[in-house]
Amino acid sequence: MNNTEKYKILFKESFQYDGDVEQLIYQAIPEWDSVGHMQLMAALEDSFGIELDVDDIIDFSSFKKGIAILSKYKVMFEP
Amino acid sequence: MNLPLEFDIIGIKACQRNRHPLLFVDRVFDVIPGEKASGLKCFTYNEWFFPAHFDDEPNVPGFIQVESLVQTFIMSFLSNDDLRGKKTNFLSIDNVKFKRKILPGDTLMIRATLKSFRRGIATGCAVSFVGDAPACSADFVVAVPDVLDQFKPKGGL
Repeated sequence: MNNTEKYKILFKESFQYDGDVEQLIYQAIPEWDSVGHMQLMAALEDSFGIELDVDDIIDFSSFKKGIAILSKYKVMFEP
Repeated sequence: MNLPLEFDIIGIKACQRNRHPLLFVDRVFDVIPGEKASGLKCFTYNEWFFPAHFDDEPNVPGFIQVESLVQTFIMSFLSNDDLRGKKTNFLSIDNVKFKRKILPGDTLMIRATLKSFRRGIATGCAVSFVGDAPACSADFVVAVPDVLDQFKPKGGL
Protein backbone atom coordinates (compact mmCIF):
# COMPACT_ATOMS: atom_id res chain seq x y z
CA MET A 1 0.00 0.00 0.00
CA ASN A 2 1.44 3.40 -0.93
CA ASN A 3 1.28 6.51 1.28
CA THR A 4 -1.61 8.06 -0.63
CA GLU A 5 -3.76 4.99 -0.05
CA LYS A 6 -2.67 4.77 3.56
CA TYR A 7 -3.50 8.46 4.11
CA LYS A 8 -7.01 8.02 2.66
CA ILE A 9 -7.67 4.95 4.78
CA LEU A 10 -6.60 6.80 7.94
CA PHE A 11 -9.17 9.51 7.18
CA LYS A 12 -11.89 6.94 6.51
CA GLU A 13 -11.12 4.96 9.66
CA SER A 14 -10.65 7.96 11.96
CA PHE A 15 -13.99 9.45 10.94
CA GLN A 16 -15.86 6.26 10.00
CA TYR A 17 -16.54 8.01 6.70
CA ASP A 18 -17.09 6.38 3.32
CA GLY A 19 -17.44 9.54 1.20
CA ASP A 20 -14.85 11.42 -0.85
CA VAL A 21 -12.17 12.16 1.72
CA GLU A 22 -10.13 14.27 -0.72
CA GLN A 23 -12.66 17.09 -0.37
CA LEU A 24 -12.83 16.98 3.43
CA ILE A 25 -12.11 20.05 5.51
CA TYR A 26 -12.25 20.44 9.29
CA GLN A 27 -15.83 20.39 10.60
CA ALA A 28 -17.27 19.55 7.16
CA ILE A 29 -18.63 16.36 8.73
CA PRO A 30 -19.69 15.91 12.37
CA GLU A 31 -16.98 13.30 12.92
CA TRP A 32 -14.18 15.77 12.13
CA ASP A 33 -14.56 17.80 15.30
CA SER A 34 -11.85 18.59 17.85
CA VAL A 35 -11.92 15.04 19.22
CA GLY A 36 -11.91 13.48 15.75
CA HIS A 37 -9.02 15.77 14.84
CA MET A 38 -6.92 14.39 17.72
CA GLN A 39 -7.80 10.84 16.71
CA LEU A 40 -6.69 11.57 13.14
CA MET A 41 -3.44 13.21 14.30
CA ALA A 42 -2.64 10.24 16.57
CA ALA A 43 -3.42 7.79 13.75
CA LEU A 44 -1.15 9.69 11.33
CA GLU A 45 1.69 9.82 13.86
CA ASP A 46 1.42 6.11 14.63
CA SER A 47 1.05 5.07 11.02
CA PHE A 48 3.83 7.23 9.55
CA GLY A 49 6.13 7.09 12.59
CA ILE A 50 6.29 10.87 13.02
CA GLU A 51 5.58 13.43 15.76
CA LEU A 52 3.63 16.44 14.56
CA ASP A 53 4.43 19.93 15.84
CA VAL A 54 1.64 21.88 17.54
CA ASP A 55 1.61 24.49 14.76
CA ASP A 56 1.16 21.78 12.15
CA ILE A 57 -1.70 20.17 14.09
CA ILE A 58 -3.47 23.53 14.23
CA ASP A 59 -2.74 24.15 10.55
CA PHE A 60 -4.04 20.72 9.49
CA SER A 61 -7.48 21.91 8.41
CA SER A 62 -8.15 19.84 5.30
CA PHE A 63 -7.22 16.63 3.52
CA LYS A 64 -5.23 18.60 0.94
CA LYS A 65 -3.46 20.78 3.49
CA GLY A 66 -2.48 17.64 5.36
CA ILE A 67 -0.54 16.37 2.36
CA ALA A 68 1.57 19.53 2.30
CA ILE A 69 2.15 19.34 6.05
CA LEU A 70 3.13 15.68 6.02
CA SER A 71 5.63 16.30 3.22
CA LYS A 72 7.59 18.41 5.74
CA TYR A 73 8.03 15.20 7.71
CA LYS A 74 9.35 13.39 4.63
CA VAL A 75 6.10 11.53 4.08
CA MET A 76 5.98 11.44 0.30
CA PHE A 77 2.75 11.09 -1.67
CA GLU A 78 2.50 9.46 -5.06
CA PRO A 79 0.84 11.59 -7.76
CA MET B 1 7.84 15.81 44.61
CA ASN B 2 7.80 12.60 46.70
CA LEU B 3 6.27 9.75 44.75
CA PRO B 4 3.84 8.11 44.99
CA LEU B 5 1.46 10.98 45.79
CA GLU B 6 -1.52 10.86 48.16
CA PHE B 7 -4.58 13.09 48.23
CA ASP B 8 -7.18 13.60 50.95
CA ILE B 9 -10.59 15.01 50.03
CA ILE B 10 -9.26 18.58 49.95
CA GLY B 11 -6.46 17.52 47.64
CA ILE B 12 -8.86 15.60 45.42
CA LYS B 13 -11.08 18.68 45.10
CA ALA B 14 -8.02 20.74 44.19
CA CYS B 15 -7.29 18.36 41.31
CA GLN B 16 -10.74 17.63 39.90
CA ARG B 17 -13.98 19.58 39.59
CA ASN B 18 -16.48 16.96 40.78
CA ARG B 19 -18.30 18.02 43.92
CA HIS B 20 -20.88 16.66 46.37
CA PRO B 21 -23.32 15.06 45.65
CA LEU B 22 -21.41 13.72 42.65
CA LEU B 23 -17.95 13.23 44.12
CA PHE B 24 -17.41 9.51 44.63
CA VAL B 25 -13.86 9.04 45.84
CA ASP B 26 -12.77 9.78 49.42
CA ARG B 27 -9.04 9.26 49.28
CA VAL B 28 -6.54 8.79 46.46
CA PHE B 29 -3.10 7.24 46.93
CA ASP B 30 -0.30 5.41 45.15
CA VAL B 31 -0.42 8.09 42.47
CA ILE B 32 2.30 8.30 39.86
CA PRO B 33 1.23 11.25 37.67
CA GLY B 34 1.00 10.13 34.08
CA GLU B 35 0.87 6.46 35.07
CA LYS B 36 -1.60 5.35 37.74
CA ALA B 37 -3.77 6.14 40.75
CA SER B 38 -5.61 4.19 43.43
CA GLY B 39 -8.71 5.33 45.28
CA LEU B 40 -10.99 4.49 48.19
CA LYS B 41 -14.69 5.16 48.45
CA CYS B 42 -16.57 4.29 51.65
CA PHE B 43 -20.30 3.87 51.17
CA THR B 44 -22.50 4.41 54.23
CA TYR B 45 -26.27 4.33 54.38
CA ASN B 46 -26.17 8.13 54.65
CA GLU B 47 -25.45 8.32 50.90
CA TRP B 48 -28.29 10.21 49.20
CA PHE B 49 -29.10 7.43 46.73
CA PHE B 50 -29.53 4.44 49.07
CA PRO B 51 -33.10 5.22 50.15
CA ALA B 52 -34.10 5.43 46.47
CA HIS B 53 -32.00 2.51 45.14
CA PHE B 54 -33.75 0.56 46.64
CA ASP B 55 -35.78 1.07 49.80
CA ASP B 56 -35.98 -2.68 50.40
CA GLU B 57 -32.51 -3.57 49.05
CA PRO B 58 -30.07 -0.65 49.20
CA ASN B 59 -27.10 -0.97 46.82
CA VAL B 60 -24.87 1.40 44.86
CA PRO B 61 -26.25 2.26 41.37
CA GLY B 62 -24.03 1.20 38.48
CA PHE B 63 -23.47 4.74 37.21
CA ILE B 64 -22.09 5.73 40.60
CA GLN B 65 -19.70 2.77 40.58
CA VAL B 66 -18.50 3.90 37.14
CA GLU B 67 -18.08 7.46 38.49
CA SER B 68 -15.93 6.12 41.34
CA LEU B 69 -13.75 4.37 38.79
CA VAL B 70 -13.36 7.34 36.48
CA GLN B 71 -12.87 9.87 39.28
CA THR B 72 -9.92 7.77 40.44
CA PHE B 73 -8.74 7.35 36.86
CA ILE B 74 -8.65 11.11 36.16
CA MET B 75 -6.41 11.60 39.20
CA SER B 76 -3.72 9.72 37.27
CA PHE B 77 -3.28 12.80 35.06
CA LEU B 78 -5.02 15.68 36.91
CA SER B 79 -2.37 15.15 39.61
CA ASN B 80 0.10 16.70 37.16
CA ASP B 81 0.73 20.32 38.20
CA ASP B 82 -0.16 21.71 34.77
CA LEU B 83 -3.54 19.90 34.68
CA ARG B 84 -4.77 20.40 38.25
CA GLY B 85 -8.30 21.76 38.52
CA LYS B 86 -9.21 21.25 34.89
CA LYS B 87 -12.64 19.93 33.88
CA THR B 88 -12.95 16.58 32.11
CA ASN B 89 -15.51 15.01 29.77
CA PHE B 90 -16.22 11.40 28.92
CA LEU B 91 -15.48 10.45 25.32
CA SER B 92 -16.20 6.77 25.72
CA ILE B 93 -16.76 4.03 28.28
CA ASP B 94 -16.23 0.44 27.15
CA ASN B 95 -16.16 -3.05 28.59
CA VAL B 96 -18.06 -2.11 31.75
CA LYS B 97 -18.47 -5.14 33.99
CA PHE B 98 -20.27 -5.42 37.31
CA LYS B 99 -19.35 -8.43 39.39
CA ARG B 100 -21.18 -7.85 42.68
CA LYS B 101 -23.52 -5.53 44.51
CA ILE B 102 -21.97 -2.74 46.57
CA LEU B 103 -23.83 -2.43 49.86
CA PRO B 104 -23.99 0.10 52.71
CA GLY B 105 -20.84 -0.43 54.78
CA ASP B 106 -18.73 -1.56 51.81
CA THR B 107 -15.44 0.14 50.96
CA LEU B 108 -14.56 0.20 47.30
CA MET B 109 -10.85 -0.03 46.43
CA ILE B 110 -10.11 1.25 42.93
CA ARG B 111 -6.97 0.82 40.85
CA ALA B 112 -6.68 2.93 37.71
CA THR B 113 -4.06 2.83 34.97
CA LEU B 114 -3.39 5.56 32.44
CA LYS B 115 -2.37 4.02 29.13
CA SER B 116 -1.82 7.28 27.28
CA PHE B 117 -2.34 11.01 27.60
CA ARG B 118 -1.98 12.75 24.29
CA ARG B 119 -3.02 16.34 23.56
CA GLY B 120 -5.87 16.35 26.06
CA ILE B 121 -7.16 12.83 25.46
CA ALA B 122 -6.59 10.26 28.20
CA THR B 123 -7.02 6.54 27.63
CA GLY B 124 -6.98 3.94 30.36
CA CYS B 125 -8.84 1.55 32.60
CA ALA B 126 -9.88 0.99 36.19
CA VAL B 127 -10.86 -2.00 38.29
CA SER B 128 -12.44 -2.05 41.74
CA PHE B 129 -12.71 -4.50 44.62
CA VAL B 130 -14.58 -4.94 47.89
CA GLY B 131 -12.00 -6.70 50.00
CA ASP B 132 -10.52 -9.22 47.59
CA ALA B 133 -13.72 -9.62 45.58
CA PRO B 134 -13.81 -7.94 42.14
CA ALA B 135 -16.61 -5.35 41.98
CA CYS B 136 -16.57 -3.51 38.65
CA SER B 137 -14.22 -2.52 35.86
CA ALA B 138 -14.22 -0.36 32.75
CA ASP B 139 -12.09 1.17 30.00
CA PHE B 140 -12.21 4.93 29.57
CA VAL B 141 -11.41 7.65 27.10
CA VAL B 142 -11.62 11.06 28.76
CA ALA B 143 -10.98 14.52 27.33
CA VAL B 144 -9.56 17.62 28.98
CA PRO B 145 -11.30 20.27 26.84
CA ASP B 146 -8.96 23.09 27.90
CA VAL B 147 -6.02 21.13 26.50
CA LEU B 148 -7.86 19.71 23.51
CA ASP B 149 -8.91 23.19 22.42
CA GLN B 150 -5.29 24.28 22.11
CA PHE B 151 -4.90 21.92 19.16
CA LYS B 152 -8.06 22.74 17.21
CA PRO B 153 -7.45 23.69 13.57
CA LYS B 154 -7.82 27.38 12.85
CA GLY B 155 -9.24 26.74 9.37
CA GLY B 156 -12.23 24.68 8.32
CA LEU B 157 -15.91 25.56 8.15
